[in-house]
Amino acid sequence: MTAQPTRPAAVAQLDAQALARLRELDPDGRHGVVVRVMNTFESSSLRLLGELKLARDRDDTVAIGGIAHTLKSSSASVGALALSARCAEVEHAVRDGQIADLATQVENLLAEGEQALVAVRAMLRS
Amino acid sequence: MNSPLSFADAGLPEQPQVLLVDDDEVNLLMTALALRDRGFRISEAASGERALELLVDWAPDIIVLDAIMPGGLDGFDTCRAIRTMAGFENVPVLMLTGLDDDASISRAYQAGATDFFVKATQWSLLAGRLHYLLRASRTRIELERSTAKLARAQDLARMGSFDWRRAEGGLVISPEGLRVFGFGPHDVVSLRALLRMVPREERRALLRLLHEVLRHSSVLATDVPIDLFDGRQRIIHVEAEPEFNEHGHSAGYTGIVQDVTDRRIAEDKIRHLANFDALTGLPNRRQLIWRAERALEHARRLQHQFALLLIDLDRFKIINDTLGHSAGDELLMEVARRLRGCVRHSDQVMEGALEAAGSRSHRTLEAVGRLGGDEFVALLPEVGEDGDAERVAQRILEVMREPIFVSGQECFVTASVGVAIFPRDGGTVADLMRNSDVAMYSVKAQGRNSSAIYGPQLAGRGREKLELETALHKAIERNELVLHYQPKIDVRSARMVGAEALMRWNRGGRLVPPGEFIPLAEETGLIVPLSEWALREAARQAKIWQTSFGFADSIAVNLPSHLFSRSDLIEHIHQCVTSFNVPHRVIMLEITETNLMKDLQDVIPALHRLNEIGVEIAIDDFGTGYSSLAYLTTLPISELKIDRSFVRDLGITPQSSAVVTAIIALARSLGLRVIAEGVETLRQMEVLHRLGCGAMQGFLFSRPIAPEDLERWLEQTVLPRKAPWIGQASELDFGTDAARAAGGRLYN
Repeated sequence: MTAQPTRPAAVAQLDAQALARLRELDPDGRHGVVVRVMNTFESSSLRLLGELKLARDRDDTVAIGGIAHTLKSSSASVGALALSARCAEVEHAVRDGQIADLATQVENLLAEGEQALVAVRAMLRS
Repeated sequence: MNSPLSFADAGLPEQPQVLLVDDDEVNLLMTALALRDRGFRISEAASGERALELLVDWAPDIIVLDAIMPGGLDGFDTCRAIRTMAGFENVPVLMLTGLDDDASISRAYQAGATDFFVKATQWSLLAGRLHYLLRASRTRIELERSTAKLARAQDLARMGSFDWRRAEGGLVISPEGLRVFGFGPHDVVSLRALLRMVPREERRALLRLLHEVLRHSSVLATDVPIDLFDGRQRIIHVEAEPEFNEHGHSAGYTGIVQDVTDRRIAEDKIRHLANFDALTGLPNRRQLIWRAERALEHARRLQHQFALLLIDLDRFKIINDTLGHSAGDELLMEVARRLRGCVRHSDQVMEGALEAAGSRSHRTLEAVGRLGGDEFVALLPEVGEDGDAERVAQRILEVMREPIFVSGQECFVTASVGVAIFPRDGGTVADLMRNSDVAMYSVKAQGRNSSAIYGPQLAGRGREKLELETALHKAIERNELVLHYQPKIDVRSARMVGAEALMRWNRGGRLVPPGEFIPLAEETGLIVPLSEWALREAARQAKIWQTSFGFADSIAVNLPSHLFSRSDLIEHIHQCVTSFNVPHRVIMLEITETNLMKDLQDVIPALHRLNEIGVEIAIDDFGTGYSSLAYLTTLPISELKIDRSFVRDLGITPQSSAVVTAIIALARSLGLRVIAEGVETLRQMEVLHRLGCGAMQGFLFSRPIAPEDLERWLEQTVLPRKAPWIGQASELDFGTDAARAAGGRLYN
């Protein structure tokens, strides 16, 4: 499989089903669960994306895989499915040792990460 | 599965505490929220390191670990670390893994995780899994506890379990079971090795039994003696049930072993206690009767005689009462030892063994036993003629002649022996026992310290006397004794000048006259407590009368002479009068002339001391004995009581008035008062008065009556001067007008 730089969708959408499941945790919104989760995601993904760039700059493949793993599940949780898919791509590549296209895949992940942050911030504002 | 209540098993924490560890903060937050919503209390840790920190001083019910946590301790390392911490060996740990992560699942178990769970957002499934793990953990803890308890209980009961399989031929014994046989918990012991520990003689019988049990697939229950390797001998109880396979064939046995040595020792001890007297170690009543029954069967079958000797110590009660029960016990032990030597005593309890021993076996029944108290029995299982039994009886009397030392004192004990011989003196053991008793009582009646063989002429005596004696023993404590009082009258003044106390026994509503129990009381030594009681009661009565009508004379109490020689008599009288706050002189003691003269030397010192404290002495039945007049002049006595036999004949035979005249003259010259007893007629009164005796007692005035009746008699007869003797007496009283002076006064 060859990785192509992909253009993220102009406006990234958070997956409706994932959001619904999130809301189930707090059906009447009393605890502000969705907002808390989104806030947590924003801060943790910001941090993880920053750490990913540093790992990329020093070619730390293992760290790249680990960060991708962590970000994979949290992005899935907030419905950033495209980001989660990019994370899975990178994680598998590292785990399977097929790192020929890793640099491109990491760039795709970072780009999708920015999109997800935009979407999450948009959601927090609304 | 949504409601936590559906998992609310007994014993589970209502809000289980969960440590949730995940480096993905979003996931951590969401999982925590979801589980809190389902009734868990969640503590969050964003890394393995943080989790270990929390566990230092906190123990959750369950730990949930994310497996993959890059950048630090991952779930596996964290789990491994947790398992090494004290107290966390068994806490349930659930490892969260990715869906596509097979490697993590097996790694999770290797790291010591209890279970794994694929990360998902289906929170109810996660909650359900947590509840399941908590319950399994609780069950496991309980199982471990109950296993430990069982092991401890088995250990305490010196009990263990085993399984024996036919096919593998294997014997598996629990550690507790191994301990029963003296092995360590890890020893491997074969059935063969165990059988070798059974003494050879018993081993053959045991093997026979085992084969028999196996052949019938029946239940095994037996006690096996075992020689442990340390040399101790134990008795092991083995109990096992067969187990059957699905085809219904016996597959093996499962059962328990228990060290029952102590129980067996206790059982033997109980058997011994049931058959032997604890004090003397001799066969007891039960054992004796059992032996006698066997002896009787034998004698009947082989047509020979056997003898029962009933041995009763003479006056044992006195020894018990004076030296105390422990001295009495000591004495009984020594007597038992001596009696044993008089027969071919065998100690063995032989139930069952008798028949095997052959036709002479009844010889081993021979024994001396203790029936109870001071009663012993010698059983002679075969005697040829009466002489055989008599010789044993003589031997018994002979061995008693040596003094017995108890409590530092030399005691002389004699015995009375009654003999009954089968079949002549009874056809059953009960008859023989009763008739030997009758014979024994005939010895007692004839002065004791001898033996007698039963004869029909003896029947019917003795037993009532025994009952009387037993009842008399209890009469004091049951308050059955009463004192009746006969007034002493001064006929010139027509007033009461004292009273004589006479004991009555209210035995079940019937008043027993003194003649029926005083001789027995003297014979048995009971007269001592009886007299002591009478002294106290007289003092009490004097106090009552003093309060009620100013009584200030004395109440005379009859005492046997040997009481005068008791060192504590003075002290006892002193206590009696002081406890009722009356002067010593309210008590006067009467001693018969015969008694006094018999024990004169022993009695004199007491008479002096009594006199010193103000207790006067009267000589009763005077004129019937043989008084040494020389002594009479020196004795500290105050009153002579003319015997009723002389009074009765007054005015009938001239000799009687001569004796009375002489006594009165004697008394006058010695400065003693004189009083006539048994005055029943006015004529007797008149004669006595004329001869110079003004003090009298008798039915003419009053019978001995209850104290309250005496008061009534004073009020209704003496005070209104209604009795015939009062007028008569006054008319007789030419010289003085004392009676008139006394007027209607009841009492001075």
